[in-house]
Amino acid sequence: MRALLLLWSLAPLLWQLRTSLQSPAALAPPATGAAAGAAQAAAWTLENYQLILAGDPPFWRCLVNSGVVGLSTTLLTLLLAIPCAYGLHRQRGRIGSVATLILLAAALFPTVLLFLGLLETARRLGLANNLLALSLPYSAMGLPLAVLLLRSAFDDLPPELEDAAKLEGLDLWQRLRHVLLPLLAPALISTALLLFLFSWNEYPIALTWLSRSELLTLPVAMARIGSSSVFTIPYGAFAAATVLGSLPLLLLVLLGQRWIVSGLTHGAIKG
Amino acid sequence: MSLAPWLLMLPALLLLAAVYAGPLLRYAWLSGHASSVLTGLIPVPNDGANWQRLAGDARFWQDAFQTLRFAFLSVGLELLLGLAIALLLHRPMRGRGLLRAVTLLPWALPTTLMALGWRWILNDPYGPVNGLIQGLGGQPYGFLSTPATTWLATVVADVWKTTPFVALLLLAGLQSIPGDLEEAMQLEGASRWQILRRLTLPLLLPYLGLAVLFRLAQALGVFDLIQVLTGGGPGGSTESLAFYAYLQAMRFLDFGYGATVMLATFGLLLLLALAWLLTLRRLQGRQP
Repeated sequence: MRALLLLWSLAPLLWQLRTSLQSPAALAPPATGAAAGAAQAAAWTLENYQLILAGDPPFWRCLVNSGVVGLSTTLLTLLLAIPCAYGLHRQRGRIGSVATLILLAAALFPTVLLFLGLLETARRLGLANNLLALSLPYSAMGLPLAVLLLRSAFDDLPPELEDAAKLEGLDLWQRLRHVLLPLLAPALISTALLLFLFSWNEYPIALTWLSRSELLTLPVAMARIGSSSVFTIPYGAFAAATVLGSLPLLLLVLLGQRWIVSGLTHGAIKG
Repeated sequence: MSLAPWLLMLPALLLLAAVYAGPLLRYAWLSGHASSVLTGLIPVPNDGANWQRLAGDARFWQDAFQTLRFAFLSVGLELLLGLAIALLLHRPMRGRGLLRAVTLLPWALPTTLMALGWRWILNDPYGPVNGLIQGLGGQPYGFLSTPATTWLATVVADVWKTTPFVALLLLAGLQSIPGDLEEAMQLEGASRWQILRRLTLPLLLPYLGLAVLFRLAQALGVFDLIQVLTGGGPGGSTESLAFYAYLQAMRFLDFGYGATVMLATFGLLLLLALAWLLTLRRLQGRQP
């Protein structure tokens, strides 16, 4: 069963890795028949990687772009989510539960449906083709989950802690900075990882906001390769791009697995 | 003092209002206007002509059917597979962390990235699936050029990507069930199937409910996958509502009608979410 699960999760990716290391001739052998293909399949090469890294703009550019948007989105969202989560934690009664319900509905909403209205706003305010501006809608889309996760983390802290800090005469900023946030570190890491993943993978908004090729994020750059020609997609080069684009995520998931899982599952419990 | 929490929430709530409520209100307004290349993208009131057009738009209704078909099958499969994976990951074993990380990987990758991966895997005749078929002596098959298999391919790609998410939600649910309940039932001689049916599934219901709600909403808005894997084809047979709205706005530059399609999709989503919440309440009421 475990082997089956591993195969199901990894086989499509491993096939991309294999494809990325084969020459175009080996991928689509001109001669008919499986035997000719098998003979050429052994022709391993790095030319696909050389091709995309020498492209214009070079492939690493979209990884950098995605990284910039991911980091700025994560920071901006946390900046807005921490006070909001703390406020929600303190706000009992009707307003608190209405706000929670609104956040939950927003967390479920398929954000693709917002792209047209956001595109109009971006054009009116001159925000298109600006990577940092992209973190505004992204932050809004990450906020619901971030606030719900952090609110539940605030709720889990013993209330005596903050009361004691208040008696010591610490103001709100000092209490957050020196007492509460350090204890919230695991929840903050979980939230940050989920926000970064969301931003790294978002497609429809990036597709409609970015048109200059040197600004494209990874998902848009990928899709652009795919739509370049219906009939002859350079699958070898594309597989190489898949592999390079997956590597940062592979690292992130391997190192942050514990936090990602606890983030997702905490979201479920409190929701 | 009672004002402070409310003030702390304000910046976040304002951004949310601008990004969520703003576009939806704008759609409501735009759907009552003609705003396309014909009007120079300047909105002109058109007395509900967009909604009349929607009612008689065969392509919209076909896309609605195709989107629902996609959503129901993929969410159903994700629940079944997700439950199986959650039960598997719940058992204590060595290397569970690594197995979880690997399971999570498909969910963490951008949809567009693997959509192109699937295009290559299902390629006719050079992809590995057709390689396997030819190796077994069969003829290569155009999985992505036949409507019947193309929509199933979109389901497979979606199930591959989002099952890990469902599995993790359900795993959280499994971990919230006290282990001694299961032991007690075992002592009474209950079979594993009986334990699953009478103990695990009822206690898992809130988690199943949330997973379905979330996945249903996302599946009804399916866009990335359709655009990159099939482009809505062949012959529009995999076109989804969100993709149709995108085409109206970005290709035909008809913002008025595009907004109308978006709003109709949102309405459909609300109806389904409501239906599911009512079903859930009924299921919960039936529990002992």
